[in-house]
Amino acid sequence: MTRRQLIANVFVALALVALAGWLFTAAFAMLGTRTDWSKAWEYRETLWRGWLVTLQISLAALLGSIFFGLLFMLGQRSPLVVVRWTCRAFLEFVRDTPLLVHLLFGYFVIFAPLISRPLGEQGFDDKLIIGVLLLSVFEGAYLGEILRGGVESIPRTQWESARAVGFSPFQVYRYVIFPQALRRVLPAMAGLFVSLIKDSSLLNVIGVAEYFYNTKNFISRSYAGLEGYVPLALGYLILTLPVAWLSHWLEKRFRHET
Amino acid sequence: MKLEVTGLTKCYGKTRALDGLSLAVESSRVLVLIGPSGGGKSTLLRVLGGLEIPDAGTVKINAHPLLPDAAALQAYRRRNGFLFQQFNLFPHLTARRNIALPLEKVHGHSPADAHEMAEQALARFSLLDHADKLPAQLSGGQQQRVGIARAVARPPEILFLDEPTSALDPEMTAEVLELIQELAEAGQNIILSTHEMGFARAVADQVAFVAAGKIEEVSPPASLFGAPQSALCQRFLSRVMRY
Repeated sequence: MTRRQLIANVFVALALVALAGWLFTAAFAMLGTRTDWSKAWEYRETLWRGWLVTLQISLAALLGSIFFGLLFMLGQRSPLVVVRWTCRAFLEFVRDTPLLVHLLFGYFVIFAPLISRPLGEQGFDDKLIIGVLLLSVFEGAYLGEILRGGVESIPRTQWESARAVGFSPFQVYRYVIFPQALRRVLPAMAGLFVSLIKDSSLLNVIGVAEYFYNTKNFISRSYAGLEGYVPLALGYLILTLPVAWLSHWLEKRFRHET
Repeated sequence: MKLEVTGLTKCYGKTRALDGLSLAVESSRVLVLIGPSGGGKSTLLRVLGGLEIPDAGTVKINAHPLLPDAAALQAYRRRNGFLFQQFNLFPHLTARRNIALPLEKVHGHSPADAHEMAEQALARFSLLDHADKLPAQLSGGQQQRVGIARAVARPPEILFLDEPTSALDPEMTAEVLELIQELAEAGQNIILSTHEMGFARAVADQVAFVAAGKIEEVSPPASLFGAPQSALCQRFLSRVMRY
């Protein structure tokens, strides 16, 4: 760092700290003495339960989105033109409409009338299952495009060499294409999984008692503000940061390898 | 090997890469395809190697017809070896793993056996020092040699080589050609295309001149290079031999 850069850095840092400090003081001054952290403590069990549900949704939808992502990717590479076009149209529709609409429409119009009762009778939480399914399809649509980009970025010669050594079509994907493609799309996939965790909060609109839903209830019942939002943000950070770190770590590892 | 090819046609869009090509070779161990770029050498080799299904025509190798059926072609490819100009190796695997993986997954050898066979193949071409390197850490010539080692780790019925030295500098070219000559002398059946005329002459027992999607001439190297019959072949040879 040159001297001028040093001075500029210090100057900008001071300005940023001052700005943030002013913002926080102003906000806290408005809240005054009304902030009462014991409220959050009282509701700790509901919040904890909600957080656990969010964790479950995220894990289940992560697996689900990988399943749908692979399906959409393969569908778009199908030798049958009808399958390719149907897949393309469906993906375009899913990617160009809001998740909120999918959840409301998918739950209240399509799935609830169809399978809510049988699911309930089996002792399942129908909202949770349908919510995870819809979230998986939505994120799977994005993942499908990411995977397709990765797979199509592998040069033709690799496909040919793999066929030439006698691999079956499945083995070509399994041993040659995916290992190379995954390295290339890892950062994009990690970004998507972080989005997936955050998007799971939207499941509150169909009444899934996840972290956001429970926090919202807590806030409206106890007139809390900061006491609700701060744990809310932290709760999501605990889930998303490890994913982000893991992806950076994997990225570095693979970069050294190739 | 005995080769009977009749009326082979293959189009890519509007280009006719093979245009009713016929070829009959009674018996040949090393068949070399020469001819101008874009004349159909690669396409012919890819059809013969079972990588491409022709639009029309038939191929019989040692009296066995090549069936235009995905499963049959896969089985056929498993019995043979194929090497391209470059980028044959899988970049995410070490040299040893590049050889061992197909042995394990395609030919059903146990991991220990596959490892052992890979080791032997590398040793045969003095590549053992490079066993644990990734393709990116090898020179172009070494990569091609590992590619050949992979193709012959389980002796193939026929080894197909598509311009194996076109992407290499003269020194690396020599190192790869030496290796191919070694294989030829050891009795390996080989069909290869090349622009190295001296090498073609030295290693081939039959040379076919391919131009405009047809075979213009087939004969042993001495007569093809010494007294070419077709006008196209004469012109091609006089051009490439000038310098």
